Amino acid sequence: MSKFKKDGARKVPGVNTSSLPDIVFMLLFFFMVATTSKEVDPTVEVTPPTGVRTTDLTPYKQRSEIDFLYLGKPRNKKRAADFKMGYALSLDNVVTNVVADELYTMNAVGTWKKDKFDQKAARVNVPIEGVITCVKADEGAPTGLIFDIRKQLQDVNGLKIAYAVRDNGVN
Amino acid sequence: MARDIPEINAGSMADIAFLLLIFFLVTTTMDKDQAYIRSIPKKIETTIPPVPVEQRCIMAIKANNKNQLMVRDEIMTDPDKISERIVEFYTKNEKVTGTNINNFPLYTFSSMGYINGKIDETIARAEKMEAEEFSDEMIEFTYSQLAEWEKKKRALKLYGASTLPEVDQTANIRIEVQTATNYSLFSKIHSEIQEGIYELRNKEALRLFKESYTVIEKRFNQDENNEDRQKLDLLEILYPARIIEVTPKQ
Repeated sequence: MSKFKKDGARKVPGVNTSSLPDIVFMLLFFFMVATTSKEVDPTVEVTPPTGVRTTDLTPYKQRSEIDFLYLGKPRNKKRAADFKMGYALSLDNVVTNVVADELYTMNAVGTWKKDKFDQKAARVNVPIEGVITCVKADEGAPTGLIFDIRKQLQDVNGLKIAYAVRDNGVN
Repeated sequence: MARDIPEINAGSMADIAFLLLIFFLVTTTMDKDQAYIRSIPKKIETTIPPVPVEQRCIMAIKANNKNQLMVRDEIMTDPDKISERIVEFYTKNEKVTGTNINNFPLYTFSSMGYINGKIDETIARAEKMEAEEFSDEMIEFTYSQLAEWEKKKRALKLYGASTLPEVDQTANIRIEVQTATNYSLFSKIHSEIQEGIYELRNKEALRLFKESYTVIEKRFNQDENNEDRQKLDLLEILYPARIIEVTPKQ
């Protein structure tokens, strides 16, 4: 005669998962707020150099007052020889040569900048002089190409340029 | 008779939320875009030759095709030292009145009376130009000059001293690179300039307002406070960042 009855196999009670969606939604909202949507993946390889005392471009991005262009070695290694000094320019995923070739006459950067501006003219009410062009260049990119870009921007009156770097944290 | 509404099975809610979460994780980035914002000079066609600038007013930072640096005609091996040279460039003659024989830009000290005189003079000139029907551009330019003087007046009031020290109008930082200079060195030069100017402005901000330059700047970006605008204006007048990027020759 025992005090404790053993009534056979007892079931482990199931864990209540009804609050799981709440947790996941919380995570979801955190990521929606804390991150920004990714630009197009550039077709060139860019390793940014580092610097201090940079300006954060997020407010400009939120007002869509900024255009990004990438300057780096093309991901397709075989094509490197086709570009001036081996560096290609990526304008919203269309690789265009910075200078020379037939594309030069098309004024690639200038026309790109103008097109971008025309597309946003309806909702962004800043003049083209105020729309920043952010150059994300590879650390090895020759500065001559950056000045070529500057020249093109000057021709279309895009008078604000931003040199992208990775901030190494001191503040 | 009221019929029971059948409960909806919410068991798959978590799955849906996970799906959304993973979607956001994949399509977004957390890293910020950080950069140095510079302006490109407006394209003007002119036949007037540029005004020659005295050697002492030029802070030339040169880099060649082999990524070797030269600051004010002196070879420099450590690019981290550029910011120190910039601080030196601005502060060397800061406390000196009159001419000085060294090779650094001179300072002018304008008193309140002088600034008021200039404001009256500019107003008179603008009125005269309007009466004589000068071109709109000329009149606009005169008004922008007037705005500059008024800004200086406010700055001097805030500065609290009897005179406002100002570095030579033509003093500038000039970046001269060659076509094959690396972008990493070019951005390093910009980084050092930013660091140097920040150091100067921050020192003055701490002395005058007991706050760091970053704090004032960040607060202004958030609420666009007029008081902060004036503080920033004053610091910019004291240590202006006039950066010229010289296009390399092919």
